[in-house]
Amino acid sequence: MNALLELKGVRVHGPRGIRLNNIDLTISSGERIALLGSNGAGKSSLIAVANGSLTPNRGLVLWQGHSMQNLRQGKRQAIGTLWQDLRLIEELNVAQNINAGALGSRNLLWAVANLIYPLEINACKECLQAVGLSTDLISAPIGELSGGQRQRVALARVLRQRPELILADEPLFSLDPTLIEEVLNLLLANAIISPLAIHRTLLMSMHQPDLIHNFDRVIGLRSGSIVFDHPSNELDAKALAWIYRSE
Amino acid sequence: MNRLSPTPTILSLLPALALIPVIGVVVTNVHDGGRLLLVEFVGAALQPSLDPVVVQSAWHGLQITVATALFSWAISSFLGILLGLASASVVWQTCVGQSWPAIVIRRFLAIPRAIHELLWGLLLLQILGLSPWVAILAIIIPYTALVARVVSDQLDTQDRRALIALQQSGSKPFPVLITALGPKMGPVLISYIGYRLECALRGATLLGVFGMGGLGIDIQLAFRSLDFQELWTPLWMLAGVMFSLEQILSWFRSHLRSSKNAIKQMIITVALMIILTLISVPWLNAVDIDLSESVSWNAFPWPTVAELKIAFNTLPWIQLVSSTIMVTLLAAGIAIGIPPMGMMLWPSRVGIGVQSYIWALLRLIPTPISALLLLLFSQTSLAVAALALGAHNLGVMGRLLKEGLDEQSNSGWQSLRASGSGTQTAWLYGCFSGQSPSYLAYAAYRTDVILRETVVVGWVGGTGLGWQLIESLGSFNWAQVALLTIVFATLTLIGETLSDQCRQHWLGPSKVRPMILDLQS
Repeated sequence: MNALLELKGVRVHGPRGIRLNNIDLTISSGERIALLGSNGAGKSSLIAVANGSLTPNRGLVLWQGHSMQNLRQGKRQAIGTLWQDLRLIEELNVAQNINAGALGSRNLLWAVANLIYPLEINACKECLQAVGLSTDLISAPIGELSGGQRQRVALARVLRQRPELILADEPLFSLDPTLIEEVLNLLLANAIISPLAIHRTLLMSMHQPDLIHNFDRVIGLRSGSIVFDHPSNELDAKALAWIYRSE
Repeated sequence: MNRLSPTPTILSLLPALALIPVIGVVVTNVHDGGRLLLVEFVGAALQPSLDPVVVQSAWHGLQITVATALFSWAISSFLGILLGLASASVVWQTCVGQSWPAIVIRRFLAIPRAIHELLWGLLLLQILGLSPWVAILAIIIPYTALVARVVSDQLDTQDRRALIALQQSGSKPFPVLITALGPKMGPVLISYIGYRLECALRGATLLGVFGMGGLGIDIQLAFRSLDFQELWTPLWMLAGVMFSLEQILSWFRSHLRSSKNAIKQMIITVALMIILTLISVPWLNAVDIDLSESVSWNAFPWPTVAELKIAFNTLPWIQLVSSTIMVTLLAAGIAIGIPPMGMMLWPSRVGIGVQSYIWALLRLIPTPISALLLLLFSQTSLAVAALALGAHNLGVMGRLLKEGLDEQSNSGWQSLRASGSGTQTAWLYGCFSGQSPSYLAYAAYRTDVILRETVVVGWVGGTGLGWQLIESLGSFNWAQVALLTIVFATLTLIGETLSDQCRQHWLGPSKVRPMILDLQS
């Protein structure tokens, strides 16, 4: 498999100490990776470094062999992020929010026109259907959606971006058990056999060790360092206890 | 499905289209004569006159302006808070169980609020003659009514659950009001009153430009003699004071924000206001402005009904009102649309830095001077009036937009950049979209201010209510003055009602307070 993303000796300092310490990681095309770790272990920092929104103090981040720092802005569209706080634009409706995922490949005029009259509505509907939402919601204001619907719209926006790699930062956080299963299935389905016919890779941070059988690989983080990285079927209770044990 | 859904973001950008017809008319009317003068004006900014006589005169004028502004601001703030309490429904309801007295006082205060300080100045000049009290009262009267409105709006939109709980515990009305509403009012009031000081300084300068003393007179005289080096000496001094004031107020606000005790904040602010009032009186005396000198009172020559009828039939009302509305809309379009348009097209740190300096310059130059500058190379027209008025307010809108954006989280921008968006689209969707409802709400309030300010540039357009009012004042036609004042006040009150509704629409019923508080705090 081809290496999509490589982190080499990545170190990130935060105001309260080291957030990531000497991270070496390679993500290959088509992999489904679960990222485990207690709160503050560095999961969000790792995702932020991986999508280029956080520049490491030391080390290299390579996207398909090219330095992330020098990556052309348009190329970043290949990395989609499902943020923990969703980052939907409250002032826009569902279609306009979904279209925000396509901004990387559109010009300013398109962006302005979309604010007047949502464009490429069929593509938006396709994304909505892919995440299991009714197309009737296409012109609904974001503020009127439930928590689960918002989560799905955020995912639809990522799908509209047509990324090769999806980074999901605790997408199951604060969801009820039924929704957890639905969102996880959506992410996994879109990661491998996308209805939009794109072969995707997934790196997802989470706190549910019981769900890792759905993934190919599990990475454990503790205090900013990778403490294990192996196939999901090799994860044992001892390793789990190690990452969730208080420091 | 109705797909057409113009968002607050696009509605904030579209008004920029007003610049196209305005520039079109200004360019069509351009004449070569003033080009050289304009180059001289710009060049003189780098070489202001350092002649001791000019510097001394400007320094003297600056002191008069600052002391007048300080004194007027402090008095209007005190009176405004008192009248604000008196016009708040919640105060009357808590004290006597009825709210109608608040409504009556509020309606009464709408009249002084609707008339611009320049008009007050010109009216008072006829009544009091040339006296230092003209400029002071011209600021105090409308500013008191404006502060009162903000205070009462604030009080009436506070969450009343705590107040009701305290009332039901058997407490007396005033302790209940102070305990339940006082802490929430503190930061808002301090922020707004600080902002009014900046307005008072601009107002005092403007009144000077129209001959009512202070730095404005130096600016006006230097401009009339086209001595731009002498013009830039007072302008740079004013810039220095404005910049220092902005920094001091910003520091004061952030200092108070860090302190959690709202009542302590208010006590400090009131103490400071008293100190500044006490300083401003001897300061005015020191610059030969004697507030104790007797004022000659000429009673306003009230017109008869017959005179009013003649005045009503003489004036072209439709043309006057429509041209005033036209100038307001065009100026508001420029002021509202250009700052986000500029930031969208040039969103880099350097770009926004350069634009901030341009906004500061536009805020600094009084509107009549901008209008005169435009007249150097373009003929008199409504477009010139709209451009001058729009340019000044653009400076204000730009600054408020930037302040709002600076306080907003950059997570939206960050997420769009990470997904490959360009800087312009990421700014538009990730930064401005979040700020646009507040911006539009403030724009509604600003349009209301612009309508009042049309009086300042009326003479440039050669039409409009403001122009006619100044003409009628000059010819002592009191019947016309009375009618024009009533029509102008009515128009601004209608504008105020519309802008209130727009603000409620964009912010929701829970946030009817003037946006200045959201963006200035």
